[in-house]
Amino acid sequence: MKLRALSYLMLLLAAPATWADNALKDVVIDQSPTALRRGAATVTGVCMACHSLKYLHYRDLLKLGFNPEDVAGMSMGNKLEDPLLAMTPPDVSEQTYGRVPPDLSLLAKAREDGPRYIYSLLTGFYQDKSGETNNHLYPGIRMPDILGWSGADASQRAALATQANEVTAFLAWAADPRADERRSLGYYVIAYLVLLTGLLYVLKRRVWARLGQGSN
Amino acid sequence: MVGKEGVDEERRDFLLTATGTVGAVGIAAACWPFISSMNPTLDVQAQANTEVDLSGVAAGAMRTVAWRGKPVFIVHRNPEQIAAMAQSEGGKDPAPDRTRVQEPQWLVVVGICTHLGCVPNKTEDGWLCPCHGSVYDNSGRVLQGPAPRNLEVPPYHFVEPTKIVIG
Amino acid sequence: MAQRLIDWIDQRFPLTSFIKRELTDYPTPRNLSYWWNFGFLAGFLLMLQIVSGVFLAMHYKPDVTLAFDSVQHIMRDVNYGWLIRYLHSTGASAFFAVIFIHMARTLYYGSYRAPRELMWWSGQVLLILLMASAFMGYLLPWGQMSFWGAQVITSLFGATPLIGDEIVLWLRGDFVVGDATLNRFFALHYLVPFFIVAMVLIHLVALHHVKSSNPSGIDLADKDNIPFHPYFTAKDFFGLGVFLIIFCGFVFFAPEFFIEPANNEPANPLLTPPHIVPEWYFLPFYAILRAIPDTLGGVAAMSLSILIFAAMPFLDRSRIPGGARFRPFYRAMFYIFVVDVLVLAYIGSQPPGGLIFKIDVAATVIYFAVFLTLPFHSRWEERWLHARGLPPALRNLLDSASEPQPRREAR
Repeated sequence: MKLRALSYLMLLLAAPATWADNALKDVVIDQSPTALRRGAATVTGVCMACHSLKYLHYRDLLKLGFNPEDVAGMSMGNKLEDPLLAMTPPDVSEQTYGRVPPDLSLLAKAREDGPRYIYSLLTGFYQDKSGETNNHLYPGIRMPDILGWSGADASQRAALATQANEVTAFLAWAADPRADERRSLGYYVIAYLVLLTGLLYVLKRRVWARLGQGSN
Repeated sequence: MVGKEGVDEERRDFLLTATGTVGAVGIAAACWPFISSMNPTLDVQAQANTEVDLSGVAAGAMRTVAWRGKPVFIVHRNPEQIAAMAQSEGGKDPAPDRTRVQEPQWLVVVGICTHLGCVPNKTEDGWLCPCHGSVYDNSGRVLQGPAPRNLEVPPYHFVEPTKIVIG
Repeated sequence: MAQRLIDWIDQRFPLTSFIKRELTDYPTPRNLSYWWNFGFLAGFLLMLQIVSGVFLAMHYKPDVTLAFDSVQHIMRDVNYGWLIRYLHSTGASAFFAVIFIHMARTLYYGSYRAPRELMWWSGQVLLILLMASAFMGYLLPWGQMSFWGAQVITSLFGATPLIGDEIVLWLRGDFVVGDATLNRFFALHYLVPFFIVAMVLIHLVALHHVKSSNPSGIDLADKDNIPFHPYFTAKDFFGLGVFLIIFCGFVFFAPEFFIEPANNEPANPLLTPPHIVPEWYFLPFYAILRAIPDTLGGVAAMSLSILIFAAMPFLDRSRIPGGARFRPFYRAMFYIFVVDVLVLAYIGSQPPGGLIFKIDVAATVIYFAVFLTLPFHSRWEERWLHARGLPPALRNLLDSASEPQPRREAR
């Protein structure tokens, strides 16, 4: 424990720049349907090589505006009611990486400021002096730089940033697929309650007016 | 004075009715999510279809599959059974055999007795319900016993000559 | 027809007279402020928690291998499951918020004083039952915070002298918080609300015997009482409307506000999250626990910090009515106490450390000092007020109260 604290301290002294680098990046996540669908394609095609999204089913993807043929293309022979499991069996991943890659269904809710965390992680890879790939947000991460961010030049990074943004949008949706339904119902509920409370207020005033002055 | 009070009283009554109505509508609407939550969930609804490969069922044999949690009998009828059923109209709930099958050699019926919901046992000539002795023929039509109706034919269609999707 | 049915019932059960006496005609002080709305709100929340809880229980599975998945099943697949769960999780926080305000009102206006001691004590029992229910309910989603919260709190019982380890083992039914613990917490989480309902009935019977206190602190003459209906039904429902707007704002637009991110990860008995904190409503008491380095001492202090409220009728020896309203010193102490509790809550949410610990100790000392100095300064304050001359508003009140009162009509 002490040793680790000491090594962090040395890291800080050696590279003050990491202070700024490991902060979450200020980014606006594009939640448009197109971005969500493109993110879903990346996640099912790339991330799900190792990661599962077991609380999502292929049928859930239909809600993003995909048609059944699109989903069949992404599901690799799985049925609509099957959960989104990793293509690599968990025990194989464990042998390769030393642990089972975490399920991504709830990642956007399981971290403080989840979406920005995911985006910052995906675009936080860099090559240290010895040529090893590491991550600013998660030093010592075992996940490879799957998007190739660390080796990309500025123009490539613009495209990768968009892709990371789409992946983030999809994972945020996956963690809370009912969010749109919840908010749109919420507007009606609040509007109704404001109306009802307004009526109750006038009614209360009228009732108490019977007492004449001295009422509160 | 009296007149003004009367007007006030009337206004208050109207306000009370309006508020009460709005409140009652809200309470009724608030009940809906709770009632709705007891309906089948999305994953249960997603299992509404069952795909069955018929190639392994020999002539004269029966296979029981689960569809929406209910048993479905699939009988591969042999030519004698088909002929016998085609000549009969059944018992108390008469129906020609051709209205009960899509392909004469394949009978697909829900295996739940129409009397009180027991699962009938297969016999040589059809089914016998162990609970109250209802007898069905090889077209799933009730011949005797307390059951009021023939065994239900579920919605299904052939996706291949030996593969059906129930539901 | 309806009248004949009511007559039939009335001959056998005091329906009409009961409603008349306890609801419609029930005499209520006309000067109650909106601070008196919170008891009604607590009652509403109790009903909401019971109803939403029953419907959640229809889909929830108290099994360590299934619990977390079944919550996700509720959130994703059950029709309006997300709504029912967010009502329940937000409702728990709202319940504590409402109860804390209800208690603060009682403390501010001195409503715990004679003849309302039994109301205050039944309320104290309700607070403890509510805390027990909330604590056990928090384990059920079986997230990381659920697990480690339960692990830490059950470990506290290990501080019991001599038989600590046995008690912890008995509470958990396992060597760590496990399947047995989850199952019994679910059973008890479903049971405790029945006790809460029973205690609420006792609370209400006591209330209807002694009647509501009021901001003046003096029991009013009949001329200042008004029937509960329609005046306070109208006022309570308006208050409920305002509350629901805020409540639904959280439920629909910020439902995860009260849920720790770490609780969206399934419980892992082999890995403690880097920073574990209890739910916000336990934070002040958690801070008091941490202020004392010794486990037994910490547990004792934390228990005492909750139980000490029960001593208020004995600790407050002033006979000046109206609680903090006419008592400047008591009022100052009240605000010091509120600020102190907020400080403790903040401290409880922070990782332990040098400065945090020092503030924690100081705030804990102030917390208990507010209670323990009360017998002395309340008596002193009363003498000081009399020596200085009572404020005119209070004198008028006392004069009107000592006027010969017409006897209450026999009911």
